[in-house]
Amino acid sequence: MRKQWRLGLGNRDLPFQAVLVCFGIVTFFPLVLVVITSLKSNTQFYHNFWLPELPFQLGNYSSAFRIIWRYIVNSVLYSGSTICLIAVIASVAGYVFARFRFPFKTVIFLAFITLIMVPGVLTLAPRFVLVRDLGMVNTPLALISVWVSGGLVLSTWLMRSYFESLPQELFDAAYVDGAAEWQVFTYVSVPLARPMIATVAMTTLIGTWNDLIWPLVTITDKSKMPLAQGLMQFSSAYETDWGTLFAGYVISSIPLLCVFAVAMRQFISGLTSGAVKA
Amino acid sequence: MFTQLAAARSTGRSRAPLPARMWRAKWLYLALLVPVTLLLLFEWLPAFSALYNSLYIWNGGKVHIYVGLEHYERLLSDRTFRVALTNLVGFVTFRVVMQTILPFFAAEMIINLRSVRWSYWWKIIFVFPMVVPTILNYLIWRFIYNPQVGLLNEGLELLGLGAYTHAWLGDPLTAMWALAFVRFPWLPTLQFLIILGGLQTIPQEVHESASIDGAGFWRRLFYIDIPMTRRQITLAMILTMLFMTQRFDLFLVMTDGGPGYSTMVPALQLFQSAFNFLEFGYASAIGVVLFVGMLALTVINLRVSSGAAD
Repeated sequence: MRKQWRLGLGNRDLPFQAVLVCFGIVTFFPLVLVVITSLKSNTQFYHNFWLPELPFQLGNYSSAFRIIWRYIVNSVLYSGSTICLIAVIASVAGYVFARFRFPFKTVIFLAFITLIMVPGVLTLAPRFVLVRDLGMVNTPLALISVWVSGGLVLSTWLMRSYFESLPQELFDAAYVDGAAEWQVFTYVSVPLARPMIATVAMTTLIGTWNDLIWPLVTITDKSKMPLAQGLMQFSSAYETDWGTLFAGYVISSIPLLCVFAVAMRQFISGLTSGAVKA
Repeated sequence: MFTQLAAARSTGRSRAPLPARMWRAKWLYLALLVPVTLLLLFEWLPAFSALYNSLYIWNGGKVHIYVGLEHYERLLSDRTFRVALTNLVGFVTFRVVMQTILPFFAAEMIINLRSVRWSYWWKIIFVFPMVVPTILNYLIWRFIYNPQVGLLNEGLELLGLGAYTHAWLGDPLTAMWALAFVRFPWLPTLQFLIILGGLQTIPQEVHESASIDGAGFWRRLFYIDIPMTRRQITLAMILTMLFMTQRFDLFLVMTDGGPGYSTMVPALQLFQSAFNFLEFGYASAIGVVLFVGMLALTVINLRVSSGAAD
């Protein structure tokens, strides 16, 4: 790996770097302005739109945090349980589909896979009626059950492909050593499938974290709202208090920022490996 | 139990009768019980319920009257739906073009860099906006378009173009364009990474031999890079199309279809029919039409792109 920290002055990278720097500035500009504004009072904001101004209003952050924290905790709980459930169920189901032959296997697998073509907007209204009739409206169960079943479709398929790609010799070796099926699954297959489980977890996280519509129709209690829905409430309550509003925006971006900082490398290399094709 | 499972694994073309084979696989069925139940209950049942109830007047409760294909006939003459469909076609076309060209362009710049470090950091920089919750994209762009203290109008003032300031979301003529440019300089993460992955798999030798033959940047772009990433480009386009057709949270948060019906789209109309007017049957009919349309477009898209390969 060549270690070149210079922006490439004088070499052929220069024109590309110049374009990328412009692109980068435009990308980050709105974010920087949000952070700058989050440190201002309304008077400072109306007086000077563009530049940061002393004194910084750190109070904006504490008043925004008092409201936002609950939504973040809710979202962490809801998305967290969804991810755990999907990881377990999809691993088991993917393993069964990948490693065994049994009657009606194709039919059952098709019951999973054809759902990829069914758009969420088609099922939205009847699904709401179903969840309402099951008495799950305004409970976390309404979110988690639907997120889990929706996420299972793609996750099971990904897990199955991954387990199928593992060499047969690996399993034979374990069987020869006298491992039972559940031991092969827990001690051999799952540890090997960690990168794929991470991918499944990441996609589930992003999907559930950003889902607005489904909470909007099923959750009415403010104290139970996940972040996306809570932010909508928050933004209408603080519509003209720009500093607090934007402080809330900054705070609510922190959780994914942390995940991103840890899992960035795998996430990018997983998706750019070139394995993704139409 | 486990010997039975082992048998299930090895019986490739077992002659045992079906019930016996099914009994042998009972633990496997048990393992699949939870996911299959969940999918039948929360995915298949609502999907069939939508198909079935599109033939009924239904308020989601007791009122349930068979009307046959009346909802579909009504859709044909529904002016709102026609406007919504026109809006959607324009919007999706624009987004598909933008969300393909923009990430391709950035990816192309990045793979042209010799510095491995810088190309790594540029990837991170362009994927970064992903950490901002989607709803905040909309709320931030609502601020950008704000007529009194919006970034766009303030920027125009700053550049001495104060005459061009505008209530971007409040004017039926500009509202749809404003929505089409939401998240504008930010790259769509998934599409960007897919296209970048495609460009990265082009072997170094191909580029080297092209430059030996005297191919410049543009030639290389049109004769090597674009043809060789055709599959990834197609996938990125299909993904954008599918996302944009069924996601209506953008419209709901930014304009709620207004002013007038200038930013109405079918998915938002479905949502409003069901949850504002309790017309679940009509909403289901809209859903079915959208489903069929998306299915057809995906099939055509895949046909065209695989046809071009031969």
